[in-house]
Amino acid sequence: MEKYSVEDLMVPLSEYATVSVGCTLRKAVQALEKAQEKFDHSMYKHRAILILNEDGEVIGKLSHLDALRALIPEHNGTYGTDELNRFGFSNSFIRKLHQHHRQQAIPLKQLCSNAGESKVEDYMCAPEENECIDYQSNLTTAIHQLVQENLRSLLVTRQGKITGILRLTDLFSAVYHTMASNPELS
Amino acid sequence: MKALSELYNRIIQRVNINLREFNFDVEPFIHNLVPFDQLAKVHGFYAVTAQHPLDFQFRHSNLAGSYLLGKCRTTNSILYKSDIRGDELKKKGSIFHCDNFKIPLTKEEGIRIENSFLIKTLVHNYSHDPESPERFSISNTVSTHYANIHGSPTDGSFLGPFATVDLSTINDCVIGAFSYVQAGEINHFHIDPGTVWVRSPGDFNFLFRYPADILGRYIQFRPGSQPDGILIDFVNDHKNAFERIFETVNIKSSIAVPPNASLDRFAVVQPKLSIEDNVLVAQRSFLQNSHLGRGANAQENCFIINSFLKGFNVTAHGAKLINVDLEEMVFVGFNSFLRGNSCRLGIGRDCIIMPHTIIDIQESLLIPAGCLVWGSVTCQADLETNSIPLKTLEKLEDGFSRKNLVFEGNGKKFVSAFQNRIQHILEANGAFYNGKDHKGHAQKNQNISFNIIQPYSEGEKEGVYPTIIIRP
Repeated sequence: MEKYSVEDLMVPLSEYATVSVGCTLRKAVQALEKAQEKFDHSMYKHRAILILNEDGEVIGKLSHLDALRALIPEHNGTYGTDELNRFGFSNSFIRKLHQHHRQQAIPLKQLCSNAGESKVEDYMCAPEENECIDYQSNLTTAIHQLVQENLRSLLVTRQGKITGILRLTDLFSAVYHTMASNPELS
Repeated sequence: MKALSELYNRIIQRVNINLREFNFDVEPFIHNLVPFDQLAKVHGFYAVTAQHPLDFQFRHSNLAGSYLLGKCRTTNSILYKSDIRGDELKKKGSIFHCDNFKIPLTKEEGIRIENSFLIKTLVHNYSHDPESPERFSISNTVSTHYANIHGSPTDGSFLGPFATVDLSTINDCVIGAFSYVQAGEINHFHIDPGTVWVRSPGDFNFLFRYPADILGRYIQFRPGSQPDGILIDFVNDHKNAFERIFETVNIKSSIAVPPNASLDRFAVVQPKLSIEDNVLVAQRSFLQNSHLGRGANAQENCFIINSFLKGFNVTAHGAKLINVDLEEMVFVGFNSFLRGNSCRLGIGRDCIIMPHTIIDIQESLLIPAGCLVWGSVTCQADLETNSIPLKTLEKLEDGFSRKNLVFEGNGKKFVSAFQNRIQHILEANGAFYNGKDHKGHAQKNQNISFNIIQPYSEGEKEGVYPTIIIRP
């Protein structure tokens, strides 16, 4: 396992779900489904969609959670939890407020339909330094980074450009197999 | 104008240092906002009365077009067409109550303005910070058109146009255009434009924010541009009327003023205006074709046009009433804009119009007595969303939300806080004067003399006023 680098385990950009900036969430979800169909060497599904700019460079990542945020009213114009906290509202009041909004919310089907028209850039997260790793890094470095930063994937970079994604599931699989096949650990 | 230019740069640097965590550069916002030659041309003036301490000290400052009353010091500051009204400062020997503390004042409270640039800003009331009971301090701050610094010591902050900080302590904050903050002590806060925030920790918390598209029609402030929108257009449309009263030394009142009422000589009065007993009309207010009933007041930067105020009405600093009929005891908060466009707006008795409310209607509208109103109202449907009967609010113990408003806490305490405040304002203004007791500003501010002060007119110090100390 020591001889493997991050690049050996990553999913290359060409095999991952990607969409261009300006695309709707509906198209992004369709792209995810399509990429999953093509990507058959693992039982694990992709958990994110990468957003590319006009030059094909990755400028953001849209996770499942990011896509779900589009369905929550607080992300559609009113106050977010962080903001209400900042303005001194109590946690119990904020919970009640959100519960009240949920009760009054429009049906989920309608919400999904509305959210589908949102642009990916409104909900994506721009890549941050702590979630990027150089393609030559070893797997121990990757494990440390994932655990320390509490991440589900790392963006693999080569000369500053993102070339693939190292998923927690793939790394865990590799570790699991090493553990299972090592008699000293059994 | 080398010294003035250095002063300007120094103030910008001081503010930017305080706001560096927001990466906020104040310079693009105020660049060319006030022409330098205007600062050098316009004189400042101070008031002399027997009712208030006479204690001015101006050092290395420009006071173009500004009005100063009471104990006031300015150092390394530019005050452009601002009102520093020290007629509510705490008196020597008085007791300041805060929580369970009774704080005795050992000297007269004074306003101190240092390293600040105030543009058309009103400074009034007294310091509500118990840690500085004898000093109402404004330092390292830039405030822009028609901002109100009301009883709020302010340091290292930027206030956008029509922003109000009220009865608070503000450190290192950006307060966006048309935002109102009354929240105790706030530090390192960036408040978005059009936010109305009234908080008393443990009692209540009121938060409203205007949708950007609505706010943008009324006020916008972008770096490199003058503020614009309906509010600015409205004020500019009436600007010429003020020029005449500021250019004339002796000006006689055009209407009969009852002996226990006060009509400031720097207020614009246009036909036909009638005022009753105990009315207070402050400087820089504009009154036209209106009636102000007993004990009503029009504070600085108010516009009252084609309106009828039945009596004991508070029209707070910067509020505007056009084609409005107020029943008794109606409170119209800071900078509110109430306009009937070829129609009438009626407001019932005891209503509280929250600060920074915009009621701009095309069809007549009647607000029932005893309501709290906030935000933007253009029709009956808006009123139903953006108002609540005070009696209903008083029964709420947890809170409620409506569209862009969230309210947490005890409704009764919120209503009481406002009603007590209204009562205090009416008392302070002398609305209840009976010929013997309860004197207030309406009776005390009648005989004011004004003296002019001017800066160096040429050379490196052009535009900067010499050090001036004025005492009895």
